[in-house]
Amino acid sequence: MTVASTARDASGGPGEEERQRADVKKERREWRQYVGFAPAAVLFGVFFIAPLCLIVVYSFWITKNYELVPAFTKNNYATIITTSTYVRTFGKTVLMAFLATVAALALAFPFCYWLVRYVPKRLQRMGLLLVVLPFWTSYLLRVYAWVAILGDHGAINSLLKALGLTHQPIRLFLYDNPGVFIVLVYLYFPFAALTLYASLERFDWRLLHAAVDLGATPMRAIANTLFPQMRLAMVTAGIFVFIPILGEYLAPAAIGGTNGVMMGNLVANFFSGFLLPLGSAASVLIALVILIVLIIFRRSLDTKDIYV
Amino acid sequence: MSDDLQAVNPRARLFRIILSIYGIGIYIFLFAPIAVLILLSFNSSTVVGFPMAGFTTNWYARLSHDKVILDALEKSLFVAFWVTVLATLIGTAAAFPLVRANIKNRGGVRVFITLPIMMPGLLIGVAILVLATNVLHIQPSLRVAIIGQTVLATPFVILVVSSRLEALDRNLERAAADLGAGQLQRLLFVVLPLIYPGIIAGALIALTLSLDEFIVTNFIIGADQTLPIFIYNQLKFGITPEVNALATLMLLGTLAVTGGTFGALRLVKLLASTTKKTKRLEETASAEV
Repeated sequence: MTVASTARDASGGPGEEERQRADVKKERREWRQYVGFAPAAVLFGVFFIAPLCLIVVYSFWITKNYELVPAFTKNNYATIITTSTYVRTFGKTVLMAFLATVAALALAFPFCYWLVRYVPKRLQRMGLLLVVLPFWTSYLLRVYAWVAILGDHGAINSLLKALGLTHQPIRLFLYDNPGVFIVLVYLYFPFAALTLYASLERFDWRLLHAAVDLGATPMRAIANTLFPQMRLAMVTAGIFVFIPILGEYLAPAAIGGTNGVMMGNLVANFFSGFLLPLGSAASVLIALVILIVLIIFRRSLDTKDIYV
Repeated sequence: MSDDLQAVNPRARLFRIILSIYGIGIYIFLFAPIAVLILLSFNSSTVVGFPMAGFTTNWYARLSHDKVILDALEKSLFVAFWVTVLATLIGTAAAFPLVRANIKNRGGVRVFITLPIMMPGLLIGVAILVLATNVLHIQPSLRVAIIGQTVLATPFVILVVSSRLEALDRNLERAAADLGAGQLQRLLFVVLPLIYPGIIAGALIALTLSLDEFIVTNFIIGADQTLPIFIYNQLKFGITPEVNALATLMLLGTLAVTGGTFGALRLVKLLASTTKKTKRLEETASAEV
């Protein structure tokens, strides 16, 4: 048998063929390893990427008699950029998203620190679960519940009245920007908390101990050992709060009234008013802000820990 | 170790107390709206607000007779069923190559997969609406809503299942292969039994996401109503105690489904370990005999 196989190898015929067949098989196996991606690729390609590209295309088109007409005009963008209310709304939306992100992070950090350091390990999972629990109530109702807290007959005003502090309900929060701010922070706090928790949980607390041993005050020790290691998580958490707020339209409509209008409301109004190209242009502008943020922070984005 | 710090700095104790109060304060912030919602669902006044007028379960009784709500519930369950099935199948299939295939830029692929999660729902909703009506010429409907929600849910399934798959020891499969198991057998009898908690967790996320989804669905569902859409249409005329009651029931429903599933998972594990133990006991007993 050995003699035969050596002879075959030497002749280069069948042995070569076998090797080639193995190569083909290997190649096929290499190709087959990506098969699992196929359904997801179709789903995301047709119903996520293609529609978004379509929006970009439509943002350059025009409407005539309620019909879309192919064109290449910059007018839609020009309209948005030169209309002062749109510009102001756009600026306000970015500012609001930024402030709410900072507030959510600032609230989440001490909270997670407390959870990781001072809550017993077996209760920590429960504590984290409780943070996520509000996600299981209707998003809509969580927004509207704030009307019952901030409104004229709301919990805060009833309390103030009962304490004899006011007679007229105060409208500081509802139907204005401060109310929208509170609700946005409330809605997106869990995103921030989850990400920061994952990072804090991995931190080697002996570093902090060592810093204190070497004479640092606890605050300084936190600032010099913990914060540098938290940078990644802070950025990731910040992005996951900032981006969805840019497109938020329910909370501003329900809580903010006409004063609290954000970019998302404009987009929603454009589309429901059949102003497709204008709505598309506004959407593209929102997407551009997102893209810029992602490009700036692309190296710091760590998606591995999120939601898992 | 925190005790060590306290020894170093006596103020650490105060710090700890303040932080604990703060932590509890955060929980109050998170749960106040939900508590208010549940509380007001028992309020006998039709005006949703404080002070409460009296206690009643009337609103709950009314819900069970409301044909529109029952219809919305049915549609919600229909959509959620298909979203869960599709997202779980597509997501699990994609998790395998994501973890195991020869990919140069795995991090990049991961970021791409999380895009539908990060992208504001508004943009996704509007984009799918435009694609459906202007290019595919499909009117907004339950079917379009199912597709839209599947786009949102699949990334979660991919992330959860792939993290489970990453933790899997590949030597187990090699051992199975050595013992003559084919690819399908390895998948069915080795891999799936080990990663199914991940798949179930992914399916649960898809299910709960679908039942609550509003932002994207609102653009693409057309005339049909799922429960969140029904609630939204009600809220246009102001918040009612009936809607509060419905929301309370929805919360209980999601809690029951997730709690029930995790409970069942634990039970299965427990049963499996006890049957193994009894088998082992039987074996040793028979060996002794």
